[in-house]
Parts: sequence; C-alpha cells; structure tokens
Amino acid sequence: VADFERRFADYCGTKYAVGVADGTAALILTLRGVGVGRGDEVITAPNSFVASASCAALLGARPVFVDVRESDMTLDPELLERAITPKTKAIIPVHLSGHAADMDPILEIANRHRIPVIEDAAQSVGSTYKGKRTGSLGLAGAFSLHPLKNLHAVGDAGIITTSDERLYRWLLKARNHGLRTRDEVEFWSINSRLDTIQAAILVVSMDHLDTWTAGRRALAAEYSAALKDVVDVPVEPPGYLHTYQTYMIKASRRDDLIEHLRSRGVEAKVHYPQAIHTQPAAQELGLAPDDFPVAHSLAQRIVSLPVYGELTRQQRQSVIDGVRSFYAS
Amino acid sequence: MTTLSRLRVPYNYLDRQFGKDETEEILDDLRALVETGEFTIGPPVLEYERRLGKLMQVKHVVGTNTGTDALILCLKALRIGAGDEVIMQTNTFYASAGAVVAVGAKPVFVDVDDQYAIDENLIEQAITPRTKAILPVHWTGLPPNMPAIIEIAERSSLKVIEDACPAVGASYAGRPAGAWGDISAVSMHPLKPLHVWGDGGAVVTNDDTLADWLRLYRNHGMINRDEIAIWGVNQRLQTVQAVVANRVLDKVNPWIDRRIEIANQLDAGLRDVPELIVPPRPADRRNAFQLYIIRVQRRAELLRFLADQGVEAKVHYPIPLHLQPAAKDLGYSRGSFPVAEAQADDIVTLPGHQYLTASEVEYMISAVRRFYDR
Repeated sequence: VADFERRFADYCGTKYAVGVADGTAALILTLRGVGVGRGDEVITAPNSFVASASCAALLGARPVFVDVRESDMTLDPELLERAITPKTKAIIPVHLSGHAADMDPILEIANRHRIPVIEDAAQSVGSTYKGKRTGSLGLAGAFSLHPLKNLHAVGDAGIITTSDERLYRWLLKARNHGLRTRDEVEFWSINSRLDTIQAAILVVSMDHLDTWTAGRRALAAEYSAALKDVVDVPVEPPGYLHTYQTYMIKASRRDDLIEHLRSRGVEAKVHYPQAIHTQPAAQELGLAPDDFPVAHSLAQRIVSLPVYGELTRQQRQSVIDGVRSFYAS
Repeated sequence: MTTLSRLRVPYNYLDRQFGKDETEEILDDLRALVETGEFTIGPPVLEYERRLGKLMQVKHVVGTNTGTDALILCLKALRIGAGDEVIMQTNTFYASAGAVVAVGAKPVFVDVDDQYAIDENLIEQAITPRTKAILPVHWTGLPPNMPAIIEIAERSSLKVIEDACPAVGASYAGRPAGAWGDISAVSMHPLKPLHVWGDGGAVVTNDDTLADWLRLYRNHGMINRDEIAIWGVNQRLQTVQAVVANRVLDKVNPWIDRRIEIANQLDAGLRDVPELIVPPRPADRRNAFQLYIIRVQRRAELLRFLADQGVEAKVHYPIPLHLQPAAKDLGYSRGSFPVAEAQADDIVTLPGHQYLTASEVEYMISAVRRFYDR
C-alpha cells in the first residue's frame, strides 16, 4: 500500500497520497477532513456519477449543483459564484470522462471565498490541466480505481492525493479507526483502508498506465477524425490532456443510435442518462429538471463508445461504420 | 532457573494460515474470477452470502467491505442517527463506538462482567428516552447473556444489534452468535476465525425489509445502473475476498474446535496459579476464542519475561473506550467503569490460535508458571 501511495503521489505531482477502500470513500473522507458536516453546503456538478453528490448528502450536508458547460461538460465557472453561500464548505469540480474541469477560474473564485476545492478525479487518472496532473490542482483529489477505470484494481479501490500535510496526517488516521497508535484512538472513525491485495495489483498496473492512456488517446483521435462530421465529438482545447475514461459524443436521436449500434454488435452506454438532480434520491432537494438545463439536456444526447486500446482494427472500424451508417440512413 | 528447549510462540499466525495447497486452491479460484471480470458483487459474493447465512442460521447475509462498515450499515438500516443513543460495553475494539459516531449517534458505555462481556445487570440504568438500541459485542469470541439482553430490549422497545465481528461460529445455548438480535455485524479481518486476505464483513438479519434496504444502500442506492432510490454508499464486499472466504467457510467450526481444545489446555495449566484469574467458562456457551484473555499480576514484567522466552503476548486493550482521547466529549472519567478499568490494567492475551501445537501450548504454560515461581 505504501509503495503504491508513493508512486501515485509522484505520478500526480503531490506530496502525499492516501489509499482508501473506494472512490466514494475518498470523497467522503476528504469532505470530512475539511470539516464538512450537518447543515453545510457542498457545490458539485449534476452530470456525474451519483457519488459526487451523495458524498455530501451522507455527511448531512446539502449537495448544491452548478450547471456545466455545453462544450466540455464540466462545471461552468461563470455560474459558480452565485451558488456560493455562507454555508458553502467545499467545491467539488468533476473531471468528467477524463477531461479536467476549468480549474483556474474555479480556484480563483474558491480562494477568494476561502473554500477548499476537492477534485473529483474518479475518471481522470493522468489527465492534465495546463501541464499539471489532476489531483494536484485543488486542496485534494479523490480518485476511484474501480475495475472499469483507466488505472484499476480487481475490485474496489480508491486514493486521495494532497500536498497539505495536515489533511494528510488526518486522513491516515481517519481511514484506520482514528487510531493514533494501536491502543489510542484520537477521534472516532471508520475502516476505509485500501486492500493490500488491490494495492499489489495497482503497483504493477502503474507501469502500464502510460501505455494504456496512449492507447485510449490514439483510439479517441481515430474516432474523432472519422466521426466529427456526423456527431459532436469530445473537445480537447489547448492546455488540456484528455485521458478518455469514456469517449462521449453528443448525438441526435441518441436512443435510436444506441439501438442501431447494438443491432450491429456494438455496445454503447450512457454516462449517465439521468442527471443527479433528477434522481429519486434527490427529491428532498426540491429541484426541477430545468434548474440545470445544460446537464439535463446533455443527459438526453450523450453516448459513450467503447474506448480501450485492446480493441482490434476491425472492432474500431465497426464502431465507426455503425455510427456513420446510422446517420447515412 | 531451568531452561526448557527454546521455542518461539508468535501471536500472529498468518504465516501458518495458508499452507501451500490451500493458497494454490485460492489462487486458482482467483484466476478463474479474473477471467470473468465480475469484480463488483460477482457470483462469489452471492455464494458467500448464501453459505454464511446457513452457517449462522439467518435468512439474509449482505456482504460488506469491512466489519466496521457492517456495524455502520446495521445502525443505518435501523434509522439510528443524530441525537440517538446506543448502549455498548467499554472494553471492546474501537470500531463499535466509531460506527455509532459515524452515523451521528452517541455511544453510551456500560461496565463488563468477569468474562469481559457486557454486564446485563447494568444495561437498564443506562437507558434514557434517547436510547434506540443495545449493541452487545461478542467480545473475545464469547456470546454475552443474549436471552437477558433480548428481554431487556423488548421491555424498553429497543433494537438489538449484535457485534458478532469476533464470533462467527460461537453460540449460546446452541443458537449462533449473530442470530439473536434484530441485525448483526460480522468481520472477516485476517485474524478472525472466518477471515479473508484483507478486509471483509457482512450484515446478517432475518428481516426482509432491512435486507432489501441494505442491498440498495451498500451499492450507491442503485435500483439499476441508471437509477438511484436513496443516497447510498459503496460498502460492497470485494469479490476477490469472497473467493477467499468461500474456501475458508467450511473450516471455521473445526478451527474453533481446535481453539477450544487449546483454551482448555491453557485453562488447566494455569488455573491453579494464585497470581492469575482465569475467567469462568459457562458450559452453555460455545466460545470462538478469538482472544484468549486472562488477568495477571505484575503485567508489565510478565510481558517482558514472556517476550524474552519467545512468547508473544498482547493486551486487548490497555485503554477502554471511555478513557480514549476520542471520548473526551462524552463526559466519562477514570472511575466511571471500575471493572473494565481494573481489567484494562491487568489483562493479557496469550496466543490461542488453531495452529499452535500441544507442545507450544505446554511451553507457554511453563513460561508463565516459571515467572511466578521465581
């Protein structure tokens, strides 16, 4: 575990990394570490995996959503400031699908209000923003290493990166029952340790990460070149390195497209078909679908195509042909 | 002083736990799992849940990431939260209190009896209008007086959450630990009789509604991939660990049988030493002997002497929960629980695991006896 933590911190460019049980635990522990609790508010994006918001709700805090930009689907810095209240205790920008959020303006606003920024880096191992890896941009980064992530274990695993020594020391205790020593408990806490078995796999996987990322990027470039005239392909503006945890296009007649692909043996998915604020669990927040029109609209249009380096030439071509033939018909 | 031929009796037995054949068996199962890629609540988790339910004689088992998670899920499932109180003993592992605090509730401690179990006679006076549950721990592997605890709970309309983390395979009057209360928590940490290669646990219950809710909550509240019914967490049992557990499940009872033999040998060899107190061993309880604990005089010296003799003894634990730094805002002080405090000062845990040989046990007995004979 310590070996993996060292390598991961070096990779991300932070002083420390703390292995934890899973990506959700990474978010929850980090929020607790910056003092989020009952009655507080935590700002995040509504078009993410549910854990980006549930981490706040589970601590008794209120998830407050800020809509995303149409172009890169990440938290819109221009809408951020108006969502901040005296109760805001943390901001969680999500580096969705391997594309970093626009961190400079987000950090500028957060710093002005003295609110810690916790990066939801669950989908962005290795992604960079202006030359820096995600996880090293805010106060801390929360990563998931679930089997379907770019860097993955054979089961659940997560890690938190930070260069803040105080938070680091607190996290070491928080993930292990609040123990200061074997016999002394400094504060009540939980067991959220990274499995040593999973860490052993992750140490080996680290050696392959750059190759895997390069494979995904090459395939993404191939898709984009072949599809950009028929669908909206992912953007990668200057200053961003996209790692394509998912390759998400925006498509008209989305559900028909998925059905068409399926009939040709191509499995496409939607990440995610329902924005978090419209989930049954979010009813208590009293939000309407159109409160976050971009996220709500994206949920109707996005499709993720299979994107991993191991796809063969024929498989790649059949994905491309599948999409093109749908719009040609 | 006579010197016996020197042995080393380590406390930690994990290097003896998995013989070469057993390890290969598990590695083969793991290879098969890796080929399926079903890492998230894969088929081995479901097999484990079914088989553990049979072993514990309960209807539902929901695998969790750790024993601590299992306790948290028990509390959450019973809707215990902010402002509520949960009664437990003060001499247990920190997770029992940590779990109560994690859901926003307050742990209320009570003192223990001469078997290190919660003293059921002290429970009633700890009940307040805010009390929601009693959380008896099967501490050291010994079931506490469950019939009495259930009766007290029923009289005051309280829930019973069994912390059966140290005691899978133990029983009271034939009924397994974990099969008494409304809901129970199990741990499979490497040093437990039922163990995996890391962390693992389970919640067990006979209540269908609680079980349905738990299955949702431990997996992000997901009804299906795209829809969440409730805000949930990720507290799933690792499928990799379920593979290990499935190879271990059938060995739990034979291992406990062996632990009981070793405990009997230790008891017989130590009971007449006037400086020691061996706890009573009531015949109606099957003790899993997760920990073999006796009370001793001159503990620090004894521990040093045993270490010199190659015997690795431990203390579980030298500071009770109510005197921990984490408990400072709960309003207890030294003197609050005199029995547990006295025990914390003079208990010793001797190695008592199933891999000890009769001669290693004999060696330990003679080492302890020699210390007091000097």
